[in-house]
Amino acid sequence: MLARVANNLFWMGRYIERSEHTARYLNVNYFSSLDAPNEVSQSRQFVLRSMLNMVGDPVSNPNTHLDEKEVLHNISLNQNNYYSIIASVKHARENANSARDLISTELYEAINKSYHFVLNYPSDFLTEKGLYDFTVNINEMMAVLKTKIKGTLLQDEIYAIIMMGVTLERAIQIIRIINAKYDDALEAKDEHSAVTNSFEWITLLKCAESYDMMRRHYKKTPNNINTLEFLILNPNCPRSVMNSLNELYHHIQLLDQNKYHNKDSTSFLVGKIRAEYEFKVIEEISDQLKDFVENILNQLISISTKMENEYFNY
Amino acid sequence: MSTNTNTTHPIFSSYERKEGFFDEIFDEKGNPKEIYKKLFEIYGGHSIEDFINLNNKARASFFNQGITFQVYGDNQVKEKIFPFDLFPRIIHPSEWEIIEKGAIQRSKALNLFLHDIYHDKKIIKQGIVPAEMISSSENYLHQMMDLDPPGGIYNHVSGTDLIKHSDGKYYVLEDNIRCPSGVSYVVCNRTALKRALFGVFNHYKAHTVTNYAENLLEMMESVKPHGVDIPNCVVLTPGIYNSAYYEHSYLAKAMGVELVEGRDLFVENNFVYMKTITGPERVDVIYRRIDDQFIDPFEFKSDSSLGVPGLFSVYKQGNVCLVNAPGTGVADDKAIYTYMPDIIKYYLDEEPILNNVHTYHCSRPDELKYVLENIDKLVVKPVDEAGGYGVTIGNRLTKEEIKNVQEQIKASPRKYIAQPIMSLSLHATYIDDSKSFEPRHIDLRTFTLLGKDTEFVLKGGLTRVALQKGNLIVNSSQGGGSKDTWVLKK
Repeated sequence: MLARVANNLFWMGRYIERSEHTARYLNVNYFSSLDAPNEVSQSRQFVLRSMLNMVGDPVSNPNTHLDEKEVLHNISLNQNNYYSIIASVKHARENANSARDLISTELYEAINKSYHFVLNYPSDFLTEKGLYDFTVNINEMMAVLKTKIKGTLLQDEIYAIIMMGVTLERAIQIIRIINAKYDDALEAKDEHSAVTNSFEWITLLKCAESYDMMRRHYKKTPNNINTLEFLILNPNCPRSVMNSLNELYHHIQLLDQNKYHNKDSTSFLVGKIRAEYEFKVIEEISDQLKDFVENILNQLISISTKMENEYFNY
Repeated sequence: MSTNTNTTHPIFSSYERKEGFFDEIFDEKGNPKEIYKKLFEIYGGHSIEDFINLNNKARASFFNQGITFQVYGDNQVKEKIFPFDLFPRIIHPSEWEIIEKGAIQRSKALNLFLHDIYHDKKIIKQGIVPAEMISSSENYLHQMMDLDPPGGIYNHVSGTDLIKHSDGKYYVLEDNIRCPSGVSYVVCNRTALKRALFGVFNHYKAHTVTNYAENLLEMMESVKPHGVDIPNCVVLTPGIYNSAYYEHSYLAKAMGVELVEGRDLFVENNFVYMKTITGPERVDVIYRRIDDQFIDPFEFKSDSSLGVPGLFSVYKQGNVCLVNAPGTGVADDKAIYTYMPDIIKYYLDEEPILNNVHTYHCSRPDELKYVLENIDKLVVKPVDEAGGYGVTIGNRLTKEEIKNVQEQIKASPRKYIAQPIMSLSLHATYIDDSKSFEPRHIDLRTFTLLGKDTEFVLKGGLTRVALQKGNLIVNSSQGGGSKDTWVLKK
């Protein structure tokens, strides 16, 4: 398999996953804020800031007034904006294009369909009444793509590389979502409610499509501790960071067939990071969430860099 | 003058036969010809609504599969579907036999011609082809002199463009032996037609077209470098923004070989390697879909980033085979085309099987004079432009435009040739605006493979349609469409 094409497929996986999380974040935050229990959480400005924070374009000046249509357009359909959904879908398709000979026709056609859907979505309609329709469609289309990846590709090194991209991006996006919602929870707290304010934690769980399962697991109202534990450390929650690390480890094994790992390999690095979180307790994290976020993001980026050096850079 | 066809079928109601052209479907009385009778009956049985429906389905299938090409406009690149017509073209086995033999004859003659002009140049020494035809050609590569390509083949893949004139005979308009494209559309057209109207195949026994890729691979393996046991073959593409990228990826997928870009390859110790996730892997045969000037910045265009630095020197050593060989463009030049009958006779001692269109060379003073005086009766073509660009058709020009063309030719006569206006045959084509079938001009591109001791002509081909009424230029960049083409079994 060509190194360049491997790199493209890795990024195809990342862009597919990224589109999905961005779309879901917009959807859940916007619609749950409409009848939020406290004034801050209900404020449109608060929600728009949270969205920009999550996509990595935070507004630092508290006095800046944000235009709703502009923000929604920028995050969804502005082609010139690197973090927009349309840019991600476009990149996913471009990367798929360069590997058309390797992936299945079914997967390619599904990517192509999603691309034309986003490309033809009218921006005016989106910002006025289409936000729900658009984000739900993106979510479903990306789910279809992942089914096609799992259901139609040969489970060889090509598959492993795509799945490395998907799971690495999932972990990164979940952490970004946790980080953004943690900031929201801090900001929304007033004298009547603590950081443990359940509303923002419920929104966070819904952003990760994990609310129902979290309730089933703990049978308790979400607070900061149980929510973070579920989304970071629970290996059975399919959206948790721990689950992603396990998946990463599984897929790197498909790629790297050596029994005894070179200490300088991606495989070794993934195993090491995974081992660190496997035996952590949530109290070590929840006290210094900001440090954790910074640390794990750096670790995930180091995996990406290592892969680049080991596989994509001949 | 035009006459309607003898039909009551609603979707053929606006079909007006045109005098002076060969109609593929209807005879002079307006009755469908024998070979089309059954097909005509089946298609005529559809209501207009049915047909619109089928047509839209076929279109959506092309679009979702991403079978599109790009058109370069002023500022932006647009993605378009290659328009596909649901009414197939049928070629009788006896007619096909001539086309097939003729295409092989031309490919072989061109191969011998290329070998000669890059070695002893006998044909020039004997005065059959003038020396300046070669020396003044931009596509002549002095680097190819005395070089022997693996297997002795230059034009491995040829695309021959044919038309049927008003006399009912096939004429070759052009030989394409650089990087002829279109074969993937032959396969897609067949797939689309099968999906939309599978029932028609019960009445006709057409040859398959899906065997092209396996024959291409076999041909590539036959020209492996000396000393290689099982050659590693690849397809080299300029990248995803190239207008024929779909075809490149289709061919690689259908052959099961890697699709590489120039940056995936590198040269070391006189061999070519590709960069894979597990390290370098040697490459032996490259089907390159990149023009000569871009294949190696060391030897040709130095600012090309599409090619592979040092590739040509490996080729020269015989350690890699390039398909087609560099420098073939000198022989598919429109000026050389006019010598094809002589070239065939000279090398093969045979009469040409396929007709050539009579051509006037503006480089010859007496012929130049005739051309300048008769522009309204001629098609004037630049000798080195591809894709139908720069072609003028005399009987559609205003007086002022004729003057302009005259000036252009006078400024550089070597650049132009002229031919009588050929009457491309007509075929029933579904037209959106009128929601019915109308006659449109068509041509045919056949695909021939030439390897070491192997030859193959794809039984089928790309029938291109000029979708605008009366238009004679069928290229996709000029708004052309295409039809599935059936070569019937004997």
